[in-house]
Amino acid sequence: MLALYRLILYLYPAAYRGEYADEMLEVLSERHEGMRKKSAPARAACAAREAGGLLDGALQEHLRPLNRAHGRGRFSFMFLGGRVRMRSEFRFPKATVGLMLVILAAVMLTIEKAKAISASIPHANPPVGHIYPSQITILPTLLVVLISAIGAGVIGWAILFALRRSGIQQLSEMKPSAGERSGK
Amino acid sequence: MAISEPVLLILLSLAEQPRHGYAILQDTERMSDGRVRLSTGTLYGALGRLLEDKWIERFKEPERSRGRQAYRLTDEGRRNLQMEVSRFEHLARLGKLRAAENGT
Repeated sequence: MLALYRLILYLYPAAYRGEYADEMLEVLSERHEGMRKKSAPARAACAAREAGGLLDGALQEHLRPLNRAHGRGRFSFMFLGGRVRMRSEFRFPKATVGLMLVILAAVMLTIEKAKAISASIPHANPPVGHIYPSQITILPTLLVVLISAIGAGVIGWAILFALRRSGIQQLSEMKPSAGERSGK
Repeated sequence: MAISEPVLLILLSLAEQPRHGYAILQDTERMSDGRVRLSTGTLYGALGRLLEDKWIERFKEPERSRGRQAYRLTDEGRRNLQMEVSRFEHLARLGKLRAAENGT
């Protein structure tokens, strides 16, 4: 069970994990020890609650900057109602935690299954021919793109310079001033 | 924003004496007669917020060879807790009055 908790702790932000993961694992281990004498259903319920709590906690830690940016009221996250504690526009049903657990289990199962299939089919793919390094084609292409961009820039600048020289811009600037003179 | 019952229980637990994570979980459960059972993830989420708002502080237990991290109330946290308790007292008084009015 501790292995599962350790796995879920990887869902927490890295900085938080570095600060609290060992301490949380110690608490979880003590909780596990404390439940040793209880019945199997009670132990299972406790484990599910702990796993759900960790998933919820990981989600909250990722959302913490978002909540702060939205001007979260003090302790608004601590209302342990029937829904995961979030701003009203981001609410999920509490069943989301269970669903996330199921998805996590399914992903782990799929990875294990894929590994097993991969191991059972040795070298089924046909041999691949020699692969040439891609730098040979990429570098000249990049050079061509760079030269084209510089060329386009120079042509654009030349057109603007020619227009400025032809006096079109000066005329457009002179019109209002001529109007001003006639108005006086 | 007012605090919830689980957070009030965490603060009351630390008001008595500094405690580490598992001791807080046990104490909150004991205080609520088993009604409030916090998970470790929920507890640490609450502790994180209380630390952020400087209601509590984290320190290493000196007398323990394992050097376990523990938590205690700050002066600000104790003041805020007293205000929250007053608020709950007011609600309890109001609740008694209203319940009595409805009962008659």
